[in-house]
Amino acid sequence: MTALVALNRVSFSYPGAERPALEAVSLEVLPGEVIAATGAAGAGTSTLLLVATGFAPRIVGGTLTGVRTIAAARCGVVFARPWTQLTGLCPTVRDEVAFGPASRGLARADVLAAAERALERLGIAHLAARDPAQLSGGELQRVVVAAALALEPEVLALDDPAAELDPEAADALYDALPGLAAADAAVLLATPDLERAARVATRAVAMASGRIVAEGAPEKVLTGTEVARLARAAGCPPPWPMDLAALRRRVAPDTAR
Amino acid sequence: MNGVGARVEGVRYSYGAGEALRGVDLAVGAGEQVVLLGPNGAGKTTLTRLLVALRRPSAGRVTVGDWDVAGRRPDEMARRVGYAFQHADQQLFARSIEEDVAFGPRCLGRRRPAVGALLEELGLGARARLHPYDVPAPTRKLVALAGVLAMEPPLLVLDEPTAGLDHEQRDVVLAALRRRAAAGVTVLSVSHDLAFVAEAADRVVVMREGRIVADRRARELLYDREALAELGLRPPATVEVSVGLGLQGRPVRAHEVVAAMRGIRWREELSE
Repeated sequence: MTALVALNRVSFSYPGAERPALEAVSLEVLPGEVIAATGAAGAGTSTLLLVATGFAPRIVGGTLTGVRTIAAARCGVVFARPWTQLTGLCPTVRDEVAFGPASRGLARADVLAAAERALERLGIAHLAARDPAQLSGGELQRVVVAAALALEPEVLALDDPAAELDPEAADALYDALPGLAAADAAVLLATPDLERAARVATRAVAMASGRIVAEGAPEKVLTGTEVARLARAAGCPPPWPMDLAALRRRVAPDTAR
Repeated sequence: MNGVGARVEGVRYSYGAGEALRGVDLAVGAGEQVVLLGPNGAGKTTLTRLLVALRRPSAGRVTVGDWDVAGRRPDEMARRVGYAFQHADQQLFARSIEEDVAFGPRCLGRRRPAVGALLEELGLGARARLHPYDVPAPTRKLVALAGVLAMEPPLLVLDEPTAGLDHEQRDVVLAALRRRAAAGVTVLSVSHDLAFVAEAADRVVVMREGRIVADRRARELLYDREALAELGLRPPATVEVSVGLGLQGRPVRAHEVVAAMRGIRWREELSE
């Protein structure tokens, strides 16, 4: 299987930065994968998304070293702050979502069909006629994800896509990710939400100070969940259980409570 | 510092075609820690903006302490109400973090505001001289919060104060809010984060479609699985663990849950 994106010891520095934001990162993104990248603020997960999709350094400037191969025909990116990527040109949500496919030069019917599909998938068809400037933060976030999706990208990179969503909408978005990573496409996700990431990711990478420090199955990598933190603080020996079911299995049968 | 309460009565607000607030009555007492919950588009943010005169209601009355907001400008309101936007970038503009944080107190007439301790408190001490845009977005959120806290307002209004933060940063924010709460400061937050509710709220007000649909004690709501499900919410991990392990005393905060787990004997990992 050919990788949609391959990074081989890639380092990247933002313009004028003293330290690289990514250091010697190697990662292959294969079709069908949902890869969750996690780490503390400043760990490099957002930068990883920008580099893997070609936005850095092409759009943001900076310096890239190492070998990067982007085989994907199209990459869609959703930034953590959704209002920064509205076109500002579109009077309605439908136009905003159609902007991407329209700029690919598709026929009008195909543009509209792609926009409608994306709106449906995000559950925001009812917002189609609204002015993007008058939406709430959560509504806007879904519009921006739909706009990226309408491009029908082979790699869809999402930076904390549920930060603004209410829990129901966040669940719906995460649950849709495996479906978005189709036979010929992949999802690359940067998120602090380990619980939801663990539910949908096929693979996870943990980052710190610009480096990948762990990579593999979600249950091996996403070990800092709330339940794990509670178990650790309460004296449960490692490895700390990630969820309630695992926690309950670790309680000795004769324990006193 | 004594907190100040806020009251909205019969408030309505429209954005063009859609009515975002359809008759809201809410009283927040001095020193209360209240979280506004509700789905996207419920009107939570709109409601909070009325408190700082960033928007004016089309009907109804808004008061903060003994001030009628109708007669006040946003810069006057800023003396009483510290407002942290959901998006920190909307309120950062200075060339360094320390200058940005000092801007508010300067506007209040303090010549040399001492922001060092505050920056330390929020874990920003080592970054004081950096440009706000040279730190990651979640860290900028802490900068914006510091800027609000620097003015020492008796009422804090925080829109999604923990969204996008990592665990460590969340703990920093929670500790800072706990100190303000202990000092009597009133805090009204908008949040989707039930873990934040568990740690930082006495009371939860739920909005839907421009109206208040529930007003509950936080501890009571967090154990009311049915009511949460109706709101499309699941209990926070602390409550899930408490219920799942049969812990005593209905703990909701992490330190309470950990204390209640102390008696548990653990198996070493089972080989499967």
